[in-house]
Amino acid sequence: MDIQRIWILMGKEVRLGATNFMTIYVLVMPVIITLLVALVFGDLFAQTPRLGIYDAGGGERFTQKLLDHPSINTTLYSSDAALRNAVERGTEEAGMSLPAGFIEALESGTEEVNFTVYRWGEAGVRNLLLLESTLGRTLVEGGGEGFDQLPVSVVSNQIGNANTLTWSQRLLPLFLIMAIVLGGMWIPAASLIEEREKRTLVALTTTPTSLMDVYLSKTLMGLILSGIMAVIILLLNRAFAGELALLLLVIALGGLMSSVFGVILGSVSKDMDTFMGIVKAVGILLYAPGILKIFPQVPEWIGRIFPTYYLMNPLLEVSQNGAGFAEILLDVAVLAVIIAALLVILSSVIGRQQQQLAMES
Amino acid sequence: MAQPAISVNDLHYSYGDTLAVDGISFDVAEGEVIGFLGPNGAGKSTVVKMLTGQLTPQKGSASLLGMDIVKERKRVQQEIGIAFETTNLYEQMSAVENLDLFAKLYKVPNFDAMGLLEKVGLGGREKEHVASYSKGMKQRLMMARALVSDPKMLFLDEPTDGLDPVSTETIHALIRAATQNGTTVFLTTHDMVEADKLSDRVAFLNQGKIVALDTPARLKLSFGMRALKVEIELPDGGTEARELSLDLDQTAQDVFDLFKNERILTVHSEEATLEDIFFDITGRGLQG
Repeated sequence: MDIQRIWILMGKEVRLGATNFMTIYVLVMPVIITLLVALVFGDLFAQTPRLGIYDAGGGERFTQKLLDHPSINTTLYSSDAALRNAVERGTEEAGMSLPAGFIEALESGTEEVNFTVYRWGEAGVRNLLLLESTLGRTLVEGGGEGFDQLPVSVVSNQIGNANTLTWSQRLLPLFLIMAIVLGGMWIPAASLIEEREKRTLVALTTTPTSLMDVYLSKTLMGLILSGIMAVIILLLNRAFAGELALLLLVIALGGLMSSVFGVILGSVSKDMDTFMGIVKAVGILLYAPGILKIFPQVPEWIGRIFPTYYLMNPLLEVSQNGAGFAEILLDVAVLAVIIAALLVILSSVIGRQQQQLAMES
Repeated sequence: MAQPAISVNDLHYSYGDTLAVDGISFDVAEGEVIGFLGPNGAGKSTVVKMLTGQLTPQKGSASLLGMDIVKERKRVQQEIGIAFETTNLYEQMSAVENLDLFAKLYKVPNFDAMGLLEKVGLGGREKEHVASYSKGMKQRLMMARALVSDPKMLFLDEPTDGLDPVSTETIHALIRAATQNGTTVFLTTHDMVEADKLSDRVAFLNQGKIVALDTPARLKLSFGMRALKVEIELPDGGTEARELSLDLDQTAQDVFDLFKNERILTVHSEEATLEDIFFDITGRGLQG
């Protein structure tokens, strides 16, 4: 393995990919579909996070700060019941019910302050996170102490059905799989087939470049492209949230699985027609977990039958539900086992490919 | 004696039940041009594939520049340049990009792509996509790519097959220039004129075996028959071609009688071609 040559070959992949219609198509397609869905279902220009406040008395200074805040849309309610009702209907994504004497108690720093927060079950995680951080900052400014030391107790109530998903949320899993699979699998496979058909692969491997270097460059290219695509899709869907390192780890593993699978497919496909035939045959299996997610009533275990579930689910768990490593450990472990199995198959494929190349040339 | 540039010992290769190379052995000296002649399926390309590390020999051994072709494959590949019979260039890239890519893979410092393209007559079109090149231009670019690393050994597989005379002559000139710099050239072809013109020695390959290996001149002396081809005018105004062997005891008398008794229109001396000799040895032609 020669890092310098792998880097040079990746540069060549970028150079050729930039002018290749198929590459542009598979990269642009998921983005276009995402934008179309967002436009049709109205999520593209979603409003700023919506916060309702009921102040039982004495919290004017605090509520005024939130009313003046540019990043959130704050509305005052005349009663706790009206606030609760607004959150239940989704008019507000979160509601904050302040007890009488809230600010005084907060400023004294000696008395424990209790207040209630209502969260709308269908609210997006991004908006909720934004609301939470804004509330946190405002509380710190109000209390004048470190946030950790504040004697504040928050009672959080979720209102509404958390399983009721918007269309963008339902389609996000499918878009994610499309982005990762198309970028990660399709591009390395198509590039490998083209190099074999045009015999440039033989030209490369008769230099001091090994077939392993060529395969690694294509795998890495697929990994990077699928990673970029996954991030773009998450950003477009306002779902690039959760623990960043964990999110990137899952994206990287998912991209690796797709690109290794792509390189294997590219090796075993005799030509582009054969590859297209295989993709048509197995495509539904790759996208199945994403399709099943459109219908929340379908039991989760059915999705688990398909390998791509294990790249999709941890991504959704981290980005949508703020899951930590412990919560996605099982899925990540299964993903790692699938990758290991694919790498074993790939090493066997590379061994046979060298001889096959010589026979074809 | 100096170490041979190529040393091949009892090399074998089979594709399934089909024996492609059947125990061939030969040496090639440094700076020598060896022409491998044989019809399609004779085993020429399989020999090249083994020597260039594309195929692993199933039996026997070979070394290039003192390096074992199996154990030191990547070191061997650093020292060789290959021009393939079939075009295998990155056609969506320019000539300069193609050459630069391979120069980087060979880790050639300070590579001058333009200088090399000028040498092969592609100066001025270096930034066009290779897809727009003619077959002759592509073949010249393939030759340039083979020369990117300034190799000590060149493997040329049918380098002028189907090319126009100008491109053919450009490639012949490049081969001659390379050998003048001490590069060893392994030329596989079924064009006996090209082999005769360029090769110091030629090997005839038939059914996986080397059936003759010598200089073209010695092969012609050993196997060929010299003749005099004479065109005479007949009494009725027609013409007739006659051939007189130059290697018979009565040749002098035959020539004397012909010139005395007939009206001679043209006289040409003829020597055996490599194709004739190949046919004599194997009973089959080079195009077969």
